[in-house]
Amino acid sequence: MINWIGFRTLVLREVTRFFSVYRQTVIPGLISSGLYIIIFGLTLQRRITAIDGVPYTVYILPGLIMMNVITNAYNNTASSMLQMKLLQQIQDMLITPLSNVELALAFIIGGAVRGFVNGILVLFLGIFLVGMPVENPFSAIFIIFMVSWAFSSIGLVIGIMAETWDNIATMVNFFITPLIFLGGVFYSIDMLPGFWRTISLANPIYYLINGLRQSVLGVGDTPFSTSLIASVFMTLLFSSIGIFLFHRGYRIKS
Amino acid sequence: MIPAIEIRNLHKSYEDTIALRGIDLTIRPGEFYGLLGPNGAGKTTTIGIITGLVRLEEGSVSVFGKDIIRDYRFTRSKIGLSPQEFTSDWFFPIDKLLIFQAGYYGIPKKEAQPRVEELLERFGLTEKRGTKMRQLSGGMKRRFQIAKALVNDPDILILDEPTAGVDVQLRHMLWDFLRELHQQGKTILLTTHYIEEAELLCERVSIINDGSIVSEGTPQELIRSLGKGMIEVALSGWDGSLEAKMSSFDFVYEPETDGGRLIFSVDNPERELTNIIATLSSNECHIHEVKINKASLEDVFVATTGRGIND
Repeated sequence: MINWIGFRTLVLREVTRFFSVYRQTVIPGLISSGLYIIIFGLTLQRRITAIDGVPYTVYILPGLIMMNVITNAYNNTASSMLQMKLLQQIQDMLITPLSNVELALAFIIGGAVRGFVNGILVLFLGIFLVGMPVENPFSAIFIIFMVSWAFSSIGLVIGIMAETWDNIATMVNFFITPLIFLGGVFYSIDMLPGFWRTISLANPIYYLINGLRQSVLGVGDTPFSTSLIASVFMTLLFSSIGIFLFHRGYRIKS
Repeated sequence: MIPAIEIRNLHKSYEDTIALRGIDLTIRPGEFYGLLGPNGAGKTTTIGIITGLVRLEEGSVSVFGKDIIRDYRFTRSKIGLSPQEFTSDWFFPIDKLLIFQAGYYGIPKKEAQPRVEELLERFGLTEKRGTKMRQLSGGMKRRFQIAKALVNDPDILILDEPTAGVDVQLRHMLWDFLRELHQQGKTILLTTHYIEEAELLCERVSIINDGSIVSEGTPQELIRSLGKGMIEVALSGWDGSLEAKMSSFDFVYEPETDGGRLIFSVDNPERELTNIIATLSSNECHIHEVKINKASLEDVFVATTGRGIND
């Protein structure tokens, strides 16, 4: 038996939570993406004419979308979970008839919605600002959704393990941001020397960015199927870890 | 009768400390039960295990006959918890938080709304309904916390130190409210630092110390088990020959400048008092003053734990 009402309530709480502070959770991504498009795109476009036949400003857009999806999805669950632990608010949920799977999934969906909303908004920004074409809208939406879910579940895992805000920021500053930037947001890895190209192939975010680039622009370094497998694999792996941690009560129950 | 809460052989240890050393506890449906103990005795750990906040290590807990692990959905839906520490929320106003809390219990908004209104009204929070938790005063936070524990209309209400740090007026309001809930048939489990509170409200109490239950019974039983109360009579007209007539009592006489003082050690001061007064009056003693010192639950506490509740 599933506690549907309880589950829906927690999802609603998580989604309403970030919408209630949209100036922190929705607008900044749009502004920074707009700035990237204007500053990076329009200035560098004069020097880098096209990659794979795509104008540079358009080429970087899928990467910008993914950057927003990843950071928003991650930050939502990581900060929501840590805040709930610090304010002891998590207790209000743990004493209710919500199962560990329901709790973990409700948090993950909250973050996934934020990542997805941000991704779609930046996608529209690209369409309106520089007339970005969307070759395959369905696969674009699908991969944005999968990556939102994957990084929301990573956020949940880190939020559960974290004891301070510093822990959460460390993960962003030392892992996620470097991996995003090295994942080919602003370039094709064909432009890298051999050694760095090989290193890039070990970066999971590289496949996610290319997956979206394939669906939006029809070009990319890797086939769409590889990106799909990478995103589904990350989603399953980290969602399972999140559920497992809830089940164990790791740093949630004493 | 199926107990409301039945705890068997509960053990729990944290990294370097043993919190519970085999607790057994049976709380009957509709009972007002008190758990008394000094800080770190294991009260909050016990409550935490019952409600699912603390991992069960060894032993078993059942709520209305159902296991808290296997049938957690059933057992948790029967319980409302007001924890000792405030649980806070930075995003939503308190009326919304009550609706959410009801939702987690599987209660749809439509059904929860009238109950939320009633609780806000009952706890004097209607005017503050749009306020966030951190903007409430300490007393209001406590009221909100208890309102939240009642949002799922639980059969069992567990209150961990509900009157800690609240003013006298609110304490009395809460006492009245708890009595009312008890009359409605709710089972109440209370931990408290105010022994007077347990003596006043609880039908049965357990004293827990260092992870073990050291005594259990009605407050009266516990006080009686400790034994002696005291009656002190200041009088004049006492002479040694009366000692034989008073031999059925356990007492000492202390002469003073204007008469003397008899100090009786008795099991039940109220019952013995009339006998003592009657015997003394019929022997032409003039009684100036009578003082009664009953044993209290606090004495029981000190006797069983070897320390005061706030030590």
